[in-house]
Amino acid sequence: MTGLVTVLGSGAMTNTINGIVDSDVMLVIGSNTTETHPIIGLRMLAAAKKGSKLIVADPRRIKLCDSADQWMQQRPGTDGALINALCHVIIRDELEDKEYIAERAENFDAFKESIADCTPEWAAKITNVPATVIEEVAHIFAKADRAGIYYTMGITQHTSGTDNVCSLANLAVITGNLGKAGAGLNPLRGQNNVQGASDMGCNPTFFPGYQRCDDETARKKFAEIWDAPITDKPGLLATEMGDAIMEGKLAGLWIMGENPILSDPNSAHAKKAFEQLDCLVVQDIFLTETAEIADVVLPAASFAEKNGTFANTERKVQRVRRAVPPPGDARDDLSIINMVSNRMLGNRHGGYQGTTDPIYHTVPPLASDVFSEITKCWVAMEGMSYDRLEEGALAWPCPDTDHPGTPILHESGFPRGKAWLSAITWDGPAENPDDEYPLVLTTGRVLYQYHTGTMTRRSEVLENSAPSAYVEMNPADAEELKLADNEMVRASSRRGSIELAVRITERVDKGIVFIPFHYKEASANLLTNDALDPHCKIPEAKVCAIKVEKM
Amino acid sequence: MSTVTLKINGNEIIAEDGLTILEVAKRSDISIPTLCFIKGKISKNPCKICVVEVEGQDELMRSCVTLARDGMVVQTDSEAVVAHRQERLAILSETHFGDCKAPCNLTCPGQINVQGYIAHVARGEYEEALRLVMERNPVPFSVGRVCPRFCETRCRRILIDEPVSINHLKRFVADWCMSHEIDLKIPKDKPTGKRIAVIGGGPAGLTAAWFLTRKGHDVTIFEAAPKLGGALRYGFPDYKIPKEIVDYEVNTILRMGINIRLSQKWGKDFTLQDLKDMGFDATFIGIGATIDVPFDVPCTDKENVYTAANFLRMINEGRKLDLGSKAAVIGGNNIAMEVARALVREGVEQVTIIYPRARLEMPANQRNVKEAEKEGIQFLLMASPSGLCAVPDENNRLKLDLIRMKLGEPDKKGKRDILPIPGSTNSLSVDTVVSSLGQMAVDGVMAGGELEAQLKMKPGGMFFANPRSSETSVEGVFAGGDAANGTKSVIQAVVSARRAANNINAYVMSCEKDPADNRFNFTRGRSFDDVSLKNFDEIGIKLREKMPERPPEVSTQDYDEVKLGFTEKMAKREADRCLKCGCTAFDRCDLKRLDIDLKININKTGMGKVPVYPVDTSHRAITVDPNKCIFCGRCERSCEYDALEVRAESMDDKGRPVGLTIDFKENCVSCGKCVENCSTGALNKNNRIVPIQGENVREIRTTCPYCGTGCQMILKVKGHTLMEITADPDVGPNYGDLCVKGRFGHNFIQHPDRLKTPLIRRQKGMPLEPVKWDEALDFMAQSFSRILGEKGPDALAGLSSARCTSEENYAFQKFFRSGIGTNNIDHCARY
Repeated sequence: MTGLVTVLGSGAMTNTINGIVDSDVMLVIGSNTTETHPIIGLRMLAAAKKGSKLIVADPRRIKLCDSADQWMQQRPGTDGALINALCHVIIRDELEDKEYIAERAENFDAFKESIADCTPEWAAKITNVPATVIEEVAHIFAKADRAGIYYTMGITQHTSGTDNVCSLANLAVITGNLGKAGAGLNPLRGQNNVQGASDMGCNPTFFPGYQRCDDETARKKFAEIWDAPITDKPGLLATEMGDAIMEGKLAGLWIMGENPILSDPNSAHAKKAFEQLDCLVVQDIFLTETAEIADVVLPAASFAEKNGTFANTERKVQRVRRAVPPPGDARDDLSIINMVSNRMLGNRHGGYQGTTDPIYHTVPPLASDVFSEITKCWVAMEGMSYDRLEEGALAWPCPDTDHPGTPILHESGFPRGKAWLSAITWDGPAENPDDEYPLVLTTGRVLYQYHTGTMTRRSEVLENSAPSAYVEMNPADAEELKLADNEMVRASSRRGSIELAVRITERVDKGIVFIPFHYKEASANLLTNDALDPHCKIPEAKVCAIKVEKM
Repeated sequence: MSTVTLKINGNEIIAEDGLTILEVAKRSDISIPTLCFIKGKISKNPCKICVVEVEGQDELMRSCVTLARDGMVVQTDSEAVVAHRQERLAILSETHFGDCKAPCNLTCPGQINVQGYIAHVARGEYEEALRLVMERNPVPFSVGRVCPRFCETRCRRILIDEPVSINHLKRFVADWCMSHEIDLKIPKDKPTGKRIAVIGGGPAGLTAAWFLTRKGHDVTIFEAAPKLGGALRYGFPDYKIPKEIVDYEVNTILRMGINIRLSQKWGKDFTLQDLKDMGFDATFIGIGATIDVPFDVPCTDKENVYTAANFLRMINEGRKLDLGSKAAVIGGNNIAMEVARALVREGVEQVTIIYPRARLEMPANQRNVKEAEKEGIQFLLMASPSGLCAVPDENNRLKLDLIRMKLGEPDKKGKRDILPIPGSTNSLSVDTVVSSLGQMAVDGVMAGGELEAQLKMKPGGMFFANPRSSETSVEGVFAGGDAANGTKSVIQAVVSARRAANNINAYVMSCEKDPADNRFNFTRGRSFDDVSLKNFDEIGIKLREKMPERPPEVSTQDYDEVKLGFTEKMAKREADRCLKCGCTAFDRCDLKRLDIDLKININKTGMGKVPVYPVDTSHRAITVDPNKCIFCGRCERSCEYDALEVRAESMDDKGRPVGLTIDFKENCVSCGKCVENCSTGALNKNNRIVPIQGENVREIRTTCPYCGTGCQMILKVKGHTLMEITADPDVGPNYGDLCVKGRFGHNFIQHPDRLKTPLIRRQKGMPLEPVKWDEALDFMAQSFSRILGEKGPDALAGLSSARCTSEENYAFQKFFRSGIGTNNIDHCARY
């Protein structure tokens, strides 16, 4: 998001899922779409069948490669170099959309200067992708009428995550691919409501609706809506909280619906930090690894047990509707927040007090009340209401009640005016293989599991389909280590060590291994690096150095 | 856009050019049935059900491939069209092999979805199992203990080893919910403003009250006794149904919100006219049959001679009776067995049941006869009491004269009467005699008033009630249960009262009755002889779980329950024995729906009789039963991944497949779309083992909780249980598609690992312990307030979740920013 904000002034998928079939070219980079976003993957395959050119950039031979016109097998952590080289070729061969750049972008000259040395030959050395392929892809992409870029964590979970996103944005801008159907810059959100959580200001620097906390006007506005003074002191990022705890600055933490001990890189460190807290409160539907070390565990509701909205990856606000009551004494998360608020603050804040109903035990304000408050905070959602959402989803911005929503962003301009073509220099990943840890580890998901598996591993069809962790390894590496397929091995990094089965496959290149991160019994994030991107503080979960040993 | 104008069924319709007749009709809300249609993908083996008559065409046209043209005149349901459809459906049905409903389900007088609740037990969903039972039977605690178990006699498992212990499973789920203090939270309809009086608080009265209350009526039960329960309390002794079970059962029903008036005897304390005057819109008579048929031999007016219902009432009220050491029980019905067993528990040393026919002819359930025998009760058969006039001997109080009986010549129907053997008199010295010769509701004419006098009675002392309407001869007065039908099982009283409740609802609301279950049913064989043993090729012997019970020498010493109930493990093992005969596609089968709509009588036209193909369970998510396949090909054509192959070696003379194979290819991603498109139950989701029948199923539209695509899905919910997830082909962004997680990844919702109560760790190093919300909230608020006071707001932080709703995320950050006073708020997936 930080990257998109830098270039465009707003961070979200610019285009729609439905529009994928209209694209002439799809560049899928750092996204194993058919496994992580199966329905979007399906649309890509349908588009490819209809004649749209599919370009995949991924260190692994993912399923999409089977239908791809071009597959660039870059080494993990070298995406920035690859993208810069694409831009270099486009400008070198004068394929950029000059009219579009003149009209809608700035800083072009500095940007052009910054990538002058990023030749395909230079990139080929870094990425392992042949220079001719880079040139060919650049041409296909630049010459297309509608070229869309699709990416996920493969791009962002790096120390260079923000730069990678800026580079992709540069590529989209210089080819004039923002603001039209079947194109755009499309980060595919990995979780159901990443977009909504971001929109709602669950972020130390933004209030709901991306209104900055350091902006006096915004603070005044929210102080008024919430009837409370608002501090101008910046808050801590999730990734900074561990250190703040260790330094004794942070003593109480309330975690709602996350399992950072399993999902965060270098998770042993996160666990150590959480154990230092005076009071850790975890609100979840299962006793997760994080909840196990909590001081207070609050039983929450699943999606089927509550009302509300999720904003999907296309910025569409969609209803979530209660189908069953939560089990036992569990309560929906909003009611829990309301109860805690009541208990700590009394009735001072928004009348968080009221009767409970006998079946669902909800504590007001109800989701519908909160939603109307949200629409008063942010102009992009001002035109939305539960009544309108009954008719169908609405994509923000939707500024008034007659507005149909905005499926495609930037049709007539960018939030920051002109797009800022940022000069990016490429730095490699924080940790590179060496003699002791000779392999590059990259992590990801599989179709049948999801995230830390708290839900999927308790759904029999899914768990039976993908019941255990494995490490994918190239046959050449396996032979060197004298490993047989399915043999148990030990994988270690500087931060930890896990035991799991080896899966020998050509899907990964020599020197590179892949581990899905869903399995707590062999948690990939015990190995990964928590080095942070300097801009948005995302940890480098997607690349680190490890060794694999026979057991 | 160019348009065409055509006439369908006489209506002029203007449609977009280039559409088929089927699509045009659909857009105009004219439904044309089809079994093979998939939009955009033409069938290679069309079902030919969608045919229509087009004027000027000699032959019927398939509407799915015939374009609508200007000036066309189309008939979608002319005689010829219907006849053709019927012929096609009969052909397709002829080889369709399976059971719509399981035999247990069909045999149950209560038509309870037996297979459904067994499947819930197998899945550990005991609450939902009980809710499903209570859809049709609100007294599962009692029925689970005393049911005659018609269902078990038809269980197909008999063809392998032993029937499933269905009734014990019912009792298990009821008892489990009781011991876990489960509030079933069964909803009721909005208040109707109608008031209904229920006379009698036994099984029939409670059942009627339950169903009428659920319909939103204001119900008052009038009960003559000081407590509710009727026969459950005053008829069955504690070793059969303990009183605390009756109390719990009654309270479960009353929790619905039912008024009760106890110790109010009809005819004495109030009359039907009084009820009318009080403003009741209808009255239900469910007083049971509690008046004993007199013991009609000479000299029965002596002390120590009782009648059965009276005797049991006294025992159940805890009265202490002097019964001596020897007793005779006259009669062979179920009540006689309970009398005899109660006598044993009262310390009577020798209890003899006297019955004039053979043992197998006893009206009592043979299971009850065996249980009595186990407890040492003796049977004097082919004997009949002739009087009590003889002078007793010195050791006993009574001398019962008996005469031996023999069987007469068979009558026209083959029934043999009994005849006394002349001169075969004998006598039995006893201290107590209890006669159990049947019961009636009213002896003679019902007392009370004018309306009571108008109540027509049946011979045998029962109220007449119209079998269709349940109404008695007095308008607005209905009757059911034993009061109308004579002494029968509890489940039969429940069924009768439930039917009456449905009739009463229709009467007071002036509306149609809820329709009865359709009797249309494919079956693999009605009787055991019809069922091919090939059905069970893959099934090994697994004997039923043995009900733990107290040995007779111990159990006869007191009134504690004899049968102790299944443990959870036993229940699950027993539930796993179920053969799952009934079709889990019951609620979505298009073939059945069309057969019913077009009135196909498959009993005449034929259905599959033997399994031709083995059921294939090799797929991780989908079970394939090719015996049910009608080769419509919808599965294959709906697959977005081209991962399914349906092939036939050849076709028979009627165009049906021979040598059918349904194969999933390597690239199948288990998304399950093919199952949703299957026109029968040939494809089924493995984790959807509970058939949905007449139950109320809610469909809730919501958003998938997994990745950020935001697929729209439909949750099918029965009771409080999510049965399955489907998608609407007309709603984006997914338009009917879902991935494997969307369709199959929802078992976690009902997983036993779910957190159900708050937990706190009072001190570091101590374990987490469950507490009530109040305590957890206090604990958290105190800790946070202390930190706030000592270190300031920035010593607190919140991590919110991309999994939670926007409303929750908004409220969470608002709490930290405006309540605590810090910007320390983030979420893990911000990037």
